[in-house]
Amino acid sequence: MSVSLQQSSASAVLEARRAHNDKLARKADQARAVWFPLTLLALLSLLPLLQLSGNYNYVLHIVLFTASYVAMASSWNILGGFTGYVSLGHAVFFAIGGYFSGMILARFGISTIVTAPVAGLVAAIAGYLIGRITLNVRGPSFIISSIALLMIARILFDNWAFIGGANGVTLPVNSLSAQWAKVPYYYAMLAIAAVTVWVSYRIKHSKFGLGLRAISKDEVKAESAGIDTRFYKVLAFALSAFFVGMTGAVWGEYLTYLRPNIFLIILVSANLVLMCILGGKGTIAGPVIGAILIVALNELFVATMGASELNILGTGLVMALGLIFFPLGLVGTLARRGKLPRVLNWD
Amino acid sequence: MSELLQVTNITAGYGDGPAILDGAHLTVEPGKVHCIIGPNGAGKSTLLKAICGMLTIRKGDVVFKGKRLNGLRPDQILRAGICFVPQERALFPKMTVRENLRMGGFVLDDQRELERRIGEILERFPILKERADQQAGTMSGGQQQTLAMARTLIIKPDIVMLDEPSLGLAPKVVQEMFDIMKMMSAEGVTVLLVEQNALIGLKNSDWGVVLDLGRTLFEGPASTVLSDPRIQELYLGGKKAA
Amino acid sequence: MTDIIQILILGLALGGVIALMGSGLALVFGVMRIVNLAHPSLIIAGAYIAYWGAKLTGIDPIVMLPVAAAIMAGIGVLMYRLVFEREARNAKYSEMTVLLTFALAMIVEGVLGGLFTNTQRVTSPGYATDAFFLGDLFIPKGQLYAGLISLVIIGALSLFLKYSRLGYAIRATTQNREAAELLGVNVNLISVLAFAIGIGLAGAAGSLVSFVFSFFPAKHWEWIAMLMSVVVLGGMGSILGTVVAALLLSVIAAFVGTWVGATWSTMTFFLALFVILLIRPQGLFGEKPEMA
Repeated sequence: MSVSLQQSSASAVLEARRAHNDKLARKADQARAVWFPLTLLALLSLLPLLQLSGNYNYVLHIVLFTASYVAMASSWNILGGFTGYVSLGHAVFFAIGGYFSGMILARFGISTIVTAPVAGLVAAIAGYLIGRITLNVRGPSFIISSIALLMIARILFDNWAFIGGANGVTLPVNSLSAQWAKVPYYYAMLAIAAVTVWVSYRIKHSKFGLGLRAISKDEVKAESAGIDTRFYKVLAFALSAFFVGMTGAVWGEYLTYLRPNIFLIILVSANLVLMCILGGKGTIAGPVIGAILIVALNELFVATMGASELNILGTGLVMALGLIFFPLGLVGTLARRGKLPRVLNWD
Repeated sequence: MSELLQVTNITAGYGDGPAILDGAHLTVEPGKVHCIIGPNGAGKSTLLKAICGMLTIRKGDVVFKGKRLNGLRPDQILRAGICFVPQERALFPKMTVRENLRMGGFVLDDQRELERRIGEILERFPILKERADQQAGTMSGGQQQTLAMARTLIIKPDIVMLDEPSLGLAPKVVQEMFDIMKMMSAEGVTVLLVEQNALIGLKNSDWGVVLDLGRTLFEGPASTVLSDPRIQELYLGGKKAA
Repeated sequence: MTDIIQILILGLALGGVIALMGSGLALVFGVMRIVNLAHPSLIIAGAYIAYWGAKLTGIDPIVMLPVAAAIMAGIGVLMYRLVFEREARNAKYSEMTVLLTFALAMIVEGVLGGLFTNTQRVTSPGYATDAFFLGDLFIPKGQLYAGLISLVIIGALSLFLKYSRLGYAIRATTQNREAAELLGVNVNLISVLAFAIGIGLAGAAGSLVSFVFSFFPAKHWEWIAMLMSVVVLGGMGSILGTVVAALLLSVIAAFVGTWVGATWSTMTFFLALFVILLIRPQGLFGEKPEMA
């Protein structure tokens, strides 16, 4: 047996590195289509003008409803998508925001649109405090703790007489005519959705966002790289609670009542997860696309089948199929294959 | 040359991931102790996993006693006579020593024969007999590694593959592990081990294999490997490369 | 004093049933690392089997238990084959399986809701409303029977795991999947088997639950956190631990329910889960990071 060192694969390594660098360069070249969401936003803000020519309340309702989910799903995405901590308890922040602003409206007559940022802040503080506890665990433990959180909140809200217990609270209706009654909430929700998407974009492209993504890849390594993972995670949780809380505030007044079995149900949380998964977790456009898809599907289910049992069945089915066949979501799958249309590349 | 196991030019990796092994080969001769060395990430453990059927081999051949092993399941390869002890936690920590040994003979159908062999092993390793009814997870590292190696003998394999048997053990205990390996090879069980500590590994082996970047760079008698200046420089912590 | 013993008895009887409800969850997690959020919804499916058995043919829910267990075990095999087998090599396995079981829970709930509506149901065999009296104490027969049968089933399961060859294989796979596979255990087959047993246990628990609690398709959300707290406190995957935790927490819940108020008794389980998370922040699902 002769001693001979075989030619090491230095040239192969260099070649691989070069190919990788080229790929990165190509990716960066592909200009993101920021104009698309902006144009969409501009068009949507003109939509209420339709009311001048007739009653398009249903259209406004659908857009408003979608916008609320865009805001919440994008907000959820800050924690679940960037950081990788899947929360099934975000309905809690929806309820906190809704009840905080709703109670102020019921007591003092101040519109929730005015108090929504404060409601968001309250939800964020709650998120911060809860996150300090539950973010100590990860993976399945975290998911379960988030369900437990929802159950605890439900019992508390159901039994808190001051906020009406299980019967909830009826909120005053605004004084606008039926034709224009939806419009203020429409703009409020659209604004919240736009700001949420913009903030999630800014976060993704910040050092903070980089830290969050490092945490989702490998938390131990992120920590040893000097990232204060604990602070990052808790901050992400608080931020992601903030916009959900704001949405809840406006949604309560729009709905004209607050009730635990509307705000504090797992289906609300499930929808956020579903939207992000279907659209593409961790991408900017993903939650938006997911929200639009799910609201459309929902309307289709309700229109064709009506029953709420079938609704939950449909949600479950879409989620299971999406997870099995498109675990990266629409945006993620297309991006991986290099087939993402430029209008959907907002990252 | 009568090889027992011949690995030719194999490519393998995890799932759809990149190929960790890319052109590795290996010749295992009966009754010897073989030691695979190489830096972290060279593919040493991956090579053992590919041989024992835990990874799909994408290219190349694994031939054992003239029979191709490619595509066989781990249990089929085990029955064929190759036993693999993975790194660190190879045991069932909440099972007793005796239960662990019983699991070692899971593929045996004759339960009476199995109990007889367990008795034999316990006689040969007094430390295990003493602790036969103790949970494996509560023993010391050296005792656990002893059990892991003893457990392979239940099925009387041709080849025992060990992934870093010395990991986390005190130097004195490490030597005991190598003594057990030598005893095994003296009885005709061929040993193939992966060792992070190349110097100790090679000193206790008959045959050395140097693996890096997923391919075999060198195969030869352990003493030759130890004395090769290039290998000393690159892999044995000798003079640093300029 | 009588009061305390009375509450203790009620808590223990209920704890036995909750232990059975949680044992399937623990088994499935132990062997496959799947946190099966659909487990409680499958218990409810089992309860419906017992309910319709009783309603249509008058068969006692306890007699229906093996039937419910067998049907649910079959469904378990189907679920495993269709959904989980293909995820086995997924890098994000544990996170993925939680979301998948969450989706499955909704599917089961939706199917049950579509078939049987959201009306509250309960089977009412004679013993469900009867009780033994011992001096000042009373023991509701329904809860007593359910609790005892649960403990018998769990006992049989433990013996099976401890002494049978399959039991060895299941335990070995739980403790070290890789090593078990290397020693010739067909871990895929063991996984299907363990999953089927786990879901079969859900069916068995369902038929007992059918006369202990009233149920409807959406009820499972209340149970998931309750059962998780039991399984987590029991040390994830340990059947014995699950039994001990179930008995402990249900006794506490019984005291809370009597002395503080019925609404707060379920809170015991949820708060227990939170407290455990506080005390053991390194994560309760084993040593290795799950999201790597």
